[in-house]
Amino acid sequence: MKISVKWLGDYVALPPSVDELARKLTAAGLEIEGMERPAEGLRGVVVAHIKESVQHPNADKLSVTQVDIGGTALLQVVCGAKNYKVGDKVPLATVGTKLPNGVEIKQAALRGVDSFGMLCSSKELGLSEESSGLLILPADLKPGTPIAEALGLDDVVLEVNVTPNRPDALSHLGVAREVGVVTGAALKPPEPKPAESGTPAAERVKVRVEDPVRCPRYVARVVENVTIKPSPQWMQDRLKACGVRAINNVVDVTNYVNLEYGQPLHAFDLDKLAGGELVVRTAARGEKMTTLDGKARTLDVDDLLICDQKSPQAIAGVMGGGDSEVSEKTTRLVLESANFLGSSVRRSAKRHALHTEASHRFERGADLDAVVPAIDRAAQLIAELSGGTVAPGRVDVYPAPKPPRKVTLRFARVEKVLGVAVAEAEVRRILAALGFVKVEEGAGQATYEVPRARVDVEREEDLLEEVARVFGYDNIPAKLPRGLASLAPEPAHAEAERRLRHALAGAGMDEVVNYSFVAPKSLEVLGGKEQPVALLNPLSVEQSVMRTSLLPGLLENLSRSVRHQVESVSLYETGRAYFRDAEGGQGTRPAAREVSRVAGLMWGRRGGGRSWTQKDARADFFDLKGAVEAVLGALRVEGLTWAPGGPAAYHPKASAELTGADGTVLGHVGEVHPRVVKALGLPEGVFVFEVDTEPLYAAARLVPAYHPLPKFPAVLRDLAVVVPLELANDAVRKVILEVGGALVEDALVFDVYTGKPIPEGKKNLAYALRYRSPERTLTDVEVSEAHQRIVDEVNRRLGAALRA
Amino acid sequence: MRDRLLALAEAARREISGASELPAVEALRVRYLGKKGELSGVLGGMGKLPPDERRALGEVANSVKAELEKLLAEATQRAEDAALEAQLQGPGLDVTLPGRGVLPGSRHPVSRTMEDIVRTFSRLGFDVASGPEIELDYFNFEALNLPKDHPARDMQDTFYVEESSLGHAKKSDSSVLLRTHTSPVQVRYMLQRKPPIRAVMPGRVYRRDSDITHTPMFHQVEGLLVDKDVTFAELKGSLDAFVKAFFGSDTRTRFRPSFFPFTEPSAEVDISCTSCGGKGCRVCKQTGWLEVLGSGMVHPNVFTSAGYDPGEVTGYAFGMGVERIAMLRYRIDDLRMMFENDARFLEQF
Repeated sequence: MKISVKWLGDYVALPPSVDELARKLTAAGLEIEGMERPAEGLRGVVVAHIKESVQHPNADKLSVTQVDIGGTALLQVVCGAKNYKVGDKVPLATVGTKLPNGVEIKQAALRGVDSFGMLCSSKELGLSEESSGLLILPADLKPGTPIAEALGLDDVVLEVNVTPNRPDALSHLGVAREVGVVTGAALKPPEPKPAESGTPAAERVKVRVEDPVRCPRYVARVVENVTIKPSPQWMQDRLKACGVRAINNVVDVTNYVNLEYGQPLHAFDLDKLAGGELVVRTAARGEKMTTLDGKARTLDVDDLLICDQKSPQAIAGVMGGGDSEVSEKTTRLVLESANFLGSSVRRSAKRHALHTEASHRFERGADLDAVVPAIDRAAQLIAELSGGTVAPGRVDVYPAPKPPRKVTLRFARVEKVLGVAVAEAEVRRILAALGFVKVEEGAGQATYEVPRARVDVEREEDLLEEVARVFGYDNIPAKLPRGLASLAPEPAHAEAERRLRHALAGAGMDEVVNYSFVAPKSLEVLGGKEQPVALLNPLSVEQSVMRTSLLPGLLENLSRSVRHQVESVSLYETGRAYFRDAEGGQGTRPAAREVSRVAGLMWGRRGGGRSWTQKDARADFFDLKGAVEAVLGALRVEGLTWAPGGPAAYHPKASAELTGADGTVLGHVGEVHPRVVKALGLPEGVFVFEVDTEPLYAAARLVPAYHPLPKFPAVLRDLAVVVPLELANDAVRKVILEVGGALVEDALVFDVYTGKPIPEGKKNLAYALRYRSPERTLTDVEVSEAHQRIVDEVNRRLGAALRA
Repeated sequence: MRDRLLALAEAARREISGASELPAVEALRVRYLGKKGELSGVLGGMGKLPPDERRALGEVANSVKAELEKLLAEATQRAEDAALEAQLQGPGLDVTLPGRGVLPGSRHPVSRTMEDIVRTFSRLGFDVASGPEIELDYFNFEALNLPKDHPARDMQDTFYVEESSLGHAKKSDSSVLLRTHTSPVQVRYMLQRKPPIRAVMPGRVYRRDSDITHTPMFHQVEGLLVDKDVTFAELKGSLDAFVKAFFGSDTRTRFRPSFFPFTEPSAEVDISCTSCGGKGCRVCKQTGWLEVLGSGMVHPNVFTSAGYDPGEVTGYAFGMGVERIAMLRYRIDDLRMMFENDARFLEQF
């Protein structure tokens, strides 16, 4: 809301500086978000009276003028414009002035003639985009008058951030009341008393309200014999300051009074209202009308209408219609000042995408008590500015007058809630200044009638808030948070998640954060069968469904990096995937199933880029599996198994499924399927993983139990076997450990070899076996026997050949 | 024999002193002192000598042997020293080559900031809680004192969810949306337990807004403290303590009246500009202050939604935008960078 400081001054004495005013209003809850001071850029520019103008002796295109700026002597100014004549008043930027366009005026000699300033165009003063020649000012201005004052630009406009609970502050009078409360100055509202004459209004227009719930009060006045013309400059200036375009003396008054009282008004051309009657009724479905903006509207039962006897003339509280619009030919007016139900106006405004000055106020709640003074004020102003006569009386339909709300304040609650003692007298002063009328006294409490402008005040807490904001939040002490009665243990998953992040960072992976919504295509390309949760009003199709996998985001990140010639990409994200849930939304159950996950991606050179140690090796399956194992190791999750295979997005021969100890699938690691990579235009060799985190965190052993160190030495023996290529390491290892029994502590694969002299279709696997007994030192013979048994069994069961 | 012995000793002395490399020294040891060496060769005939001659010769032989052993040991040491010295004089490592191994990955600035905010509050005894992002209108709005058709709903442009895509057996009576703030977690958290309560709720939130200063998804950390006789003064103290702990002990706070439907009284919290310290600069638009937190005393209607008696308990709640704080902290001037995940951006954190 734009507030003109000059205008504000009509109703209340203002603090000496605008900055102080802004500070005080902000501190009381009317945040001043910005200030426009048009006069600022015009300092040093004054009205100059051209007394003489002669041709410059050395330049054809220049003139030498003598101007009067109210001083004792005339000033000599060289000028290039031709559109003036001697005797004109024009703006002069005096020496030292810095113009809005950055030009600084210096005393200068132009082609050998001294010039003491610059005569200005409106463009040079920042008043218009274009101009031709000097700005010729009204002849009645006094030379030497600052130009800002002369042009009515010596105002300051405050940009007030009015929160939705404070419609009372959507007007100059409302803000003036706040000023009075915080400064103690008295409020001087206008006291409109239009001079009435002629035929009573009730004989000129009838009003019928068919829906008193959505229109609790409707007041009409009639003004006759008006002459439509532009409104006076002062009114235009004020409207302009508030961002409202001037139209004519009638429409401008309705806008002016709206900005003054916060009561939206509308003027109908009485001669265009069929039957001289206004009917407030609900629209019929499919009914049509054209609003003032020239748009044809199809109406619905949600819309409340103001109609004449034939057709709709306005959408109540939103916008008037074109049929009865005030035009140059209008001579008789019906003024409307009404109160409409906020939720009804809001629905209409939303449906028609029409956010207007009127709907903005009605939605939030207009002041029932402003309906009458506002229409009186408007009638009076229109009569003054248009020569019209105000018909006697108002037509006032107010079938069920609403009594003001009453709220009781227990004075002790002030300290109890705010934590500071505010003197009772001060509390009473604050509430009285805000317009709350005390109607009842009790023991330690008082009951107040709430001003009807304050639609937000309903209960005791609302009064406490009023006291707090006027008393000043700065005056409430800061007390340290109270001590704890008990300390809850940190949720285990918080520490688990920290470890997971450390492990992935340790594996060289950068964390990303991607949007939770993705393009449906990005899920389809991965071959997901799951129907995603879709948004009703997405910003674009690219962000229209909730992700069922974190992979689309990571693949998009890769694509971006590849475009930027990054050689190595290693990313991870933690976040949720979202799934439909047939039972969702019952009671407190979430509407959808949200699964916490971690996903990662590697592509390109191993270890972050080219390096002399890596010899340009490229990241592969085992790099990424290693990162997942780092996480499992950091969490000390055990008993998990890896098996070949993965969902459709994964390479069928280069992916693995991770299964928990209880058999649930936790996630997958693998190469992205070549077809997916191709479809996404990505380079080959992209590896990804995606794992559910909740089961991992649940299985984490964050505080492992200590095992005593072994008392007896270990014996190390290597074992190499040649097995068919497709035989898995796990299968061999399983036999070794099973046959070795209690004697084999561990069997670690340390080499995988194919090629000569290993026959085609076979591979050589080498294991480092560690033999140890917890009870004694093993003898060579024992170890050799055990080793032989293992060799024999591996051969027998797996058809392996012990390598020579 | 004695002469041969002495001649042998003399020759050995000369050769050993001339030997400078280990293999040569070792060869001399074998040649003179080995089992089939020259000393043994000379002494081989000793058995035939009479006993006193044998004894006398034995003494000489022992002393020769001892001397040669000593000389050989010295020669070995000399040769080793020389070899080491030679090695140390050789070419060194190129220590300017980079080390082996992977550099640690980076943390996303938003996620790190969020974790740090949560950790700071945990020092004040705040528990951590989370809730769904796909939320019912009821928890996101109505339970927070934002009934349908309330104009304050305009403060938060909402993404709604296509109900048919939820797979619900029957239509729920509350529409489904992406939560516009973390505040619904307050209500869910209160419904699950009795006061006193002290928790922060970090997470993703969504608003239908996308321009240079808004992204349709961002992060918030919400906080809630409920107990008997909690005051606005404590709200001020707690947030002031947080701000000082998080932004530095010189940081000042300013509380301004504001409006949130779920708190009353409500306050915007400004902090003295982290860039200029409050003198006024480009970051704070010359005001010296930065708006970072919204807060207030929990509205009685919210307590009622959560099944608490507003006559029994009071509390405060607060919320902050994580991106805004991360931008201040890392001096990031373009919000959109946060979700583009450009490698050149990420590697800086």
